Amino acid sequence: MNESDTRKTVPVYCSQCTAGPDLMKVEVEDGVAMRVVSNFDIEDQHPGGGRVCVKAYGLIQKTYNPNRVKQPMKRTNPKKGRDEDPGFVAITWDEAFRTIGEKMRALRAKGLLDEEGFPRLAITIGGGGTPVQYMGTFAAFMKAWGALDQGYGAGQGVKCAHSEHLYGEFWHRAFTVAPDTPKANYVISCGLNSDASGGVVGVRREADARARGIRRVQVEPHISVTGALAAEWVPIKPKTDSAFLYALINRMIVERPIEETCDLPFLKERTNSPYLVGPNGWFLRHSESGKPLVWDLADDTAKPFDAEIGNAALTGGYTISGVEHGADGEKFSHHEVEAKPSFQVLLDLMTPYSADWAEGECEVSAETIRRVADEYVSQACIGQFTEIEGHTMPYRPVAVMLGKGANNGWGAYGCCWARTMLACLVGALEVPGGTLGTTVKLVRPAASRVGSVIPGEDGFMNFPFNPTSANQWKRTPSIRNAYDTLIPLLSDSPWSPALGPAHLPWLFQKETPKNWPRTAPPEMWICYRTNPAISSWNPNEVAERIAEFPFTVALAYTLDETNHLADILLPESTDLESTQLIRIGGTKFSQNYWHHEGWAIRQKVVEPVYDTMDISDIAARLAVEVDIHEDYIAAINSGAAGTRLVRDGKYDFSLPADEPVTPDRVWDSVCKAASWDLSGGREVHDLSWFRDNGFMLREFKEIDWYIYPALERQGLRFEMPYQERLTRHGRQLAHRLGEIGVDWWQDQLEEYEFMPTYKPYADIWLNYAAEYGRNPDDYPFWALTERSMQYAWGANVGIPVIYEVAKNVTGHKGVIINRTRALELGIGEGDDLVIESVIGVTEGKAVLREGIRPDTVLMIGQFGHWKTPFAKDLGLANLNPLTDISLKLTDNTGSGADLMRVRVYRGT
Amino acid sequence: MEQIAEARTPRWGMVIDLNRCVGCQTCTIACKYANDTQPDVQWRSVIDVEFGTFPDVERIFAVVGCQHCAEPPCVPVCPTGATGQRGDGLVTMDYDRCIGCASCVVACPYQARTIAHRHEWYYGVETVQESRTRHREREGVAQKCTFCIERIDEAAERRLTPGVDWDVTPACASGCITQAIEFGDFNDPESNVSRLTRDKPYFRMHEELGTEPGIRYLYSTPTVPGRDPPPGDLGDDRLGDPENPLVGKRQVFWDWRAAMNWCLGGMASGAVVMLWLGSLIAPPAPQEHAVLNFLFAVVMGLGLFFVALKMGRKMRFWRAIMRPRTAWMSRELYAVLLFAPPVLIGLVRPLPSIFAWAAIAAFLFLVCQARILYAAKGIPNWRAPLIPWMIVATGLFEGTGLLALIAGATGATETARAMLAIAGVVLALLNVGLWAAYRASAGTAGIGALSRRVIAGASPLLHFAGHGLPLVMFLLALLAPAGSAAFLAVGGVAAIGGGLFKKFTVIVGAGYHQGYALGKIPQRGSGARAAPRLIEGFANPVGDPMATR
Repeated sequence: MNESDTRKTVPVYCSQCTAGPDLMKVEVEDGVAMRVVSNFDIEDQHPGGGRVCVKAYGLIQKTYNPNRVKQPMKRTNPKKGRDEDPGFVAITWDEAFRTIGEKMRALRAKGLLDEEGFPRLAITIGGGGTPVQYMGTFAAFMKAWGALDQGYGAGQGVKCAHSEHLYGEFWHRAFTVAPDTPKANYVISCGLNSDASGGVVGVRREADARARGIRRVQVEPHISVTGALAAEWVPIKPKTDSAFLYALINRMIVERPIEETCDLPFLKERTNSPYLVGPNGWFLRHSESGKPLVWDLADDTAKPFDAEIGNAALTGGYTISGVEHGADGEKFSHHEVEAKPSFQVLLDLMTPYSADWAEGECEVSAETIRRVADEYVSQACIGQFTEIEGHTMPYRPVAVMLGKGANNGWGAYGCCWARTMLACLVGALEVPGGTLGTTVKLVRPAASRVGSVIPGEDGFMNFPFNPTSANQWKRTPSIRNAYDTLIPLLSDSPWSPALGPAHLPWLFQKETPKNWPRTAPPEMWICYRTNPAISSWNPNEVAERIAEFPFTVALAYTLDETNHLADILLPESTDLESTQLIRIGGTKFSQNYWHHEGWAIRQKVVEPVYDTMDISDIAARLAVEVDIHEDYIAAINSGAAGTRLVRDGKYDFSLPADEPVTPDRVWDSVCKAASWDLSGGREVHDLSWFRDNGFMLREFKEIDWYIYPALERQGLRFEMPYQERLTRHGRQLAHRLGEIGVDWWQDQLEEYEFMPTYKPYADIWLNYAAEYGRNPDDYPFWALTERSMQYAWGANVGIPVIYEVAKNVTGHKGVIINRTRALELGIGEGDDLVIESVIGVTEGKAVLREGIRPDTVLMIGQFGHWKTPFAKDLGLANLNPLTDISLKLTDNTGSGADLMRVRVYRGT
Repeated sequence: MEQIAEARTPRWGMVIDLNRCVGCQTCTIACKYANDTQPDVQWRSVIDVEFGTFPDVERIFAVVGCQHCAEPPCVPVCPTGATGQRGDGLVTMDYDRCIGCASCVVACPYQARTIAHRHEWYYGVETVQESRTRHREREGVAQKCTFCIERIDEAAERRLTPGVDWDVTPACASGCITQAIEFGDFNDPESNVSRLTRDKPYFRMHEELGTEPGIRYLYSTPTVPGRDPPPGDLGDDRLGDPENPLVGKRQVFWDWRAAMNWCLGGMASGAVVMLWLGSLIAPPAPQEHAVLNFLFAVVMGLGLFFVALKMGRKMRFWRAIMRPRTAWMSRELYAVLLFAPPVLIGLVRPLPSIFAWAAIAAFLFLVCQARILYAAKGIPNWRAPLIPWMIVATGLFEGTGLLALIAGATGATETARAMLAIAGVVLALLNVGLWAAYRASAGTAGIGALSRRVIAGASPLLHFAGHGLPLVMFLLALLAPAGSAAFLAVGGVAAIGGGLFKKFTVIVGAGYHQGYALGKIPQRGSGARAAPRLIEGFANPVGDPMATR
């Protein structure tokens, strides 16, 4: 294509979700962004071939949307609420910054923390990390500010693969989990909708694998996009996935000889399966060294786990002496007691969970469960090896995946544990073809998953639990969601606050629980690229809490439901009107396994259409207004804009603290530092170079997709199946909470077990109506949601072209209900449906399909808008108003699940 | 069998893999941006289809759009030559020649064409990007997927290969994130599309219609074999569901205005023919004959006026004469041109030969009308074999009705009344028989359930008021000469009304597009539809080529 001054194609990236990345190009003519196209410059390096997801195309209309907030605005009606007209009037940017600056300076003058010890400033950035791709230098502003509360959720975190995030990262450095799809041959997926959520990279990998012949068994209550492409769809009762998974384990280790079904060397050497367990459930340890003991069948003696062991026992019982380390330093010394390898404890635990038992729980036939287990084993290639870049690695082309219904909320611990255990049984964890982690968010270093594999206690990887000991426990939470007080597994990384039980502040603000600090609203709340008044559970209640906030600043795109409750609207430039450099490649969310890593630019392809500002400009101006400019620059210099701008003895592209800097100058330095770092100083590229070239990459070793070699090299073990450390933290936390009289976290504390016993978690929802004094039988349907590839995380419900194309996919025009059941109920296609739970109502048109259990209804995406232009006229339903925020529905990791029991009837 | 073009001539086409496509609609939106289509116009899209009944269910995504057929039904019906076919197989559109008559739209059995009569803005108001990408030349005329023809032409200039070099590959294929859409040259045995279809089984949609479509669908993987859709999937229960994406939508392109042409034109031409036939036995006064012919010509002209109203580009109406070699719509206009002179000449020279000329021209017009509808291969109830006969028979019956009405109202000779009554009885019976046969054979003729439902629903009223009532009236007119004028008039009105009702039923009410059909489907899904099990003797065909043990 001939390019001229008036017509050019500009490389940009789109990360409107955590998948992608979509390294697209935008055709620009006479300063107008005309079209989005693939970027084939990166075809050979990008695992998705440089192609671009459907959502990215919507960025054109997103930019030229006439419904955007076109200039800063302020509220003139002091009364806040859904039914109040905010009376927004246009103001200048100067007035906006002056107003916010005054408020912020006043906060700082009073101290960053309020009387309860909570930050006076709260910031919600929503979207599970997506905003990080866009927030430019705003992270530097946040760092420069100091203590702030990122614990008010918009639905992210607590709804989103939460248990997988925590346990996955704990067990195998897997903030999210993926099959090694290019090499896998058999995948069992409990509801992971990866063909909708995998982004251009994940979806492509899955498609290639299907063409190659991978077999996926999709286990879920309705046939999702991914279920459609699976070789087999197995309908299952919601929230009973752990029964299905336990029965797979039962089939493998109880019904069949483990010599046939398991990778015994892996279990013995790379897991804690041989660790002996004492009478109180703790590891039986060497009396002097305190190391857990293993029974060596070679010479029939007990030895520390790291001794030379000929043949570790996995089964049986052994009489030995030793000591157990309980909670809070309690020790149990034993002489000649019986101890069992933890694998034997696993066997004992799993014995009742037969396929026949599971059939009664999850409504999947025992025959199917046994067959799937047998197929899984038959495809695991136990004992086989392969070469990866000269390294000999185990080859185990099988994996088990979990979707949001399974890896979130009650029961998710069991599911995540069973999934990881199924991988361990056949030696398929973190090896070619098997189950892999993608990235790390809680452990460090953040940029290297393999580098985060460092020795910790008892032969396991180090994990920075939030302390629960009497002298280290954080009695007063640092923020309102209490992630560092209530949830040891959450650690304390920059991601941890947002991963806390971020729905609880909304609950606690309404009613402070017993013996707990009063949760007063933050004195100022900044809301960035999220809409909690729609995306939270019980969003109407959340909107009422937001209305109680004394001063809200919203980085606004359109006048949406949350912005409706704000005091100041700061219209932010869109993704095509602003600039940022972002890391790509390596291993990342959603099957982003690359052979390269590096940086790509999102750049201003057109001048802002309206009087909006780049978020980095906003951050810089705010820093000046609040008199924290020097700290802001220091934060950028230390890496808050993506990478450090100065490294001793290597390079120094740092910014001066004593003068204002434009975003272009920031990104110029970031470009230089990133390129220096990437090339070891051989190439230093400025912003202009990145604008022209789009990206810069270096090789990333495939061997680093797997952490198994790092464990093997260091003699470390996966902390499976036995959860001694976790249980110890649970017991200690119970002590701490008991000491301060907190009794409302008891159910959650009971979830800390050495190994998760099965509980009928579905009953929590089945009986939930009773919490409101209603008859559970009056709510005979499960209401579920499903990922929409066209919308998820895109903040694009107001984009007509997205609506137009999404309508081609079933469920984007209404509520999916089983066709036969609907007809029995007198419900026809397109009828108005009312879906009602004990706490709320939503409405939509009936979409009759057979691919859903008769007791289930499905609402795709998150809609139900009452303010957002265009979206409010779509008449689409939303699961969120049906879903309660409550402790009863919150598990010990602080997460809940996207489902509810409802009744369904025809509207009038 | 497919035609094999000369070795050096490319045959561009697509291969779509049903086991790769995830229905994400990236092709849909990539096409929309590459081709600047306006709201709700999708040259390329993906349908989301479900088969079976819980708990034995299967869901399939299938990319649809113009198939660039080797034997495209849309080309011969185009009266202007706006729709054409290139040597490389691409079916093309010349927007500047198109009159927006929609003949091609109803001829396409793939619902690939549309006409947007008004420009719409996505937000209801103009935006700078949309105004710059607006294509006024496409407004009011037919449009469809071009296989991004300009890219293919650019490839030739730049010596690049479509399907290999992404810049010159259709946007849907180059944008498809799963590479479910492959584009290439079927005449090149080494092309990606040739290799894929050499190695894997495929089907083509509606091959039975003789269109030789240029899109081939792959439906199997080593794990997921293909199979025929179970008969239960194609029952009226599912294919009578208008929300089922496989089911063709009701056509909206030939609406009441088009139907009026068939009604008025059919009636007028039928009247001219029947009058002339009558005149062979009992000639009316020549001047009277000429005036009646003129009157009927006015009625015919009114019908043409109505049909002109629905043209997207009315000022180009004249272009419809450009394709008489293939297009019945062009021929219809020539029939009009042949008909007009004798009508006018007859007014001054009312000679039998002139009337014969007019009658032959009118009959040709009637035949053209019948063939126009029959040529609409995209509408199953129009392409039914009985349709031409029905249109002719109905036209003659309506014409007889019109003559009977005039005879009844103005008085006519007893002989004329008797002849009209006899003709009315014969034609009523003929129409009854044809309609009954049409309805009875609808299923086997491939008419969809929704269409059949409309036909069946209309039948009682049609038979009663449109066939039975005139039959009785004409019989009474024959048996009771005293009241024959009144009977004739009532019978005539009923015949005309019945004809109107029938044509509105056939054209507007029952005119559903040909739905999509998947000749083979992947064996995947739940329960009985799941892929063959690995255990129970089904060996995993994947193997482990990388395992070195």
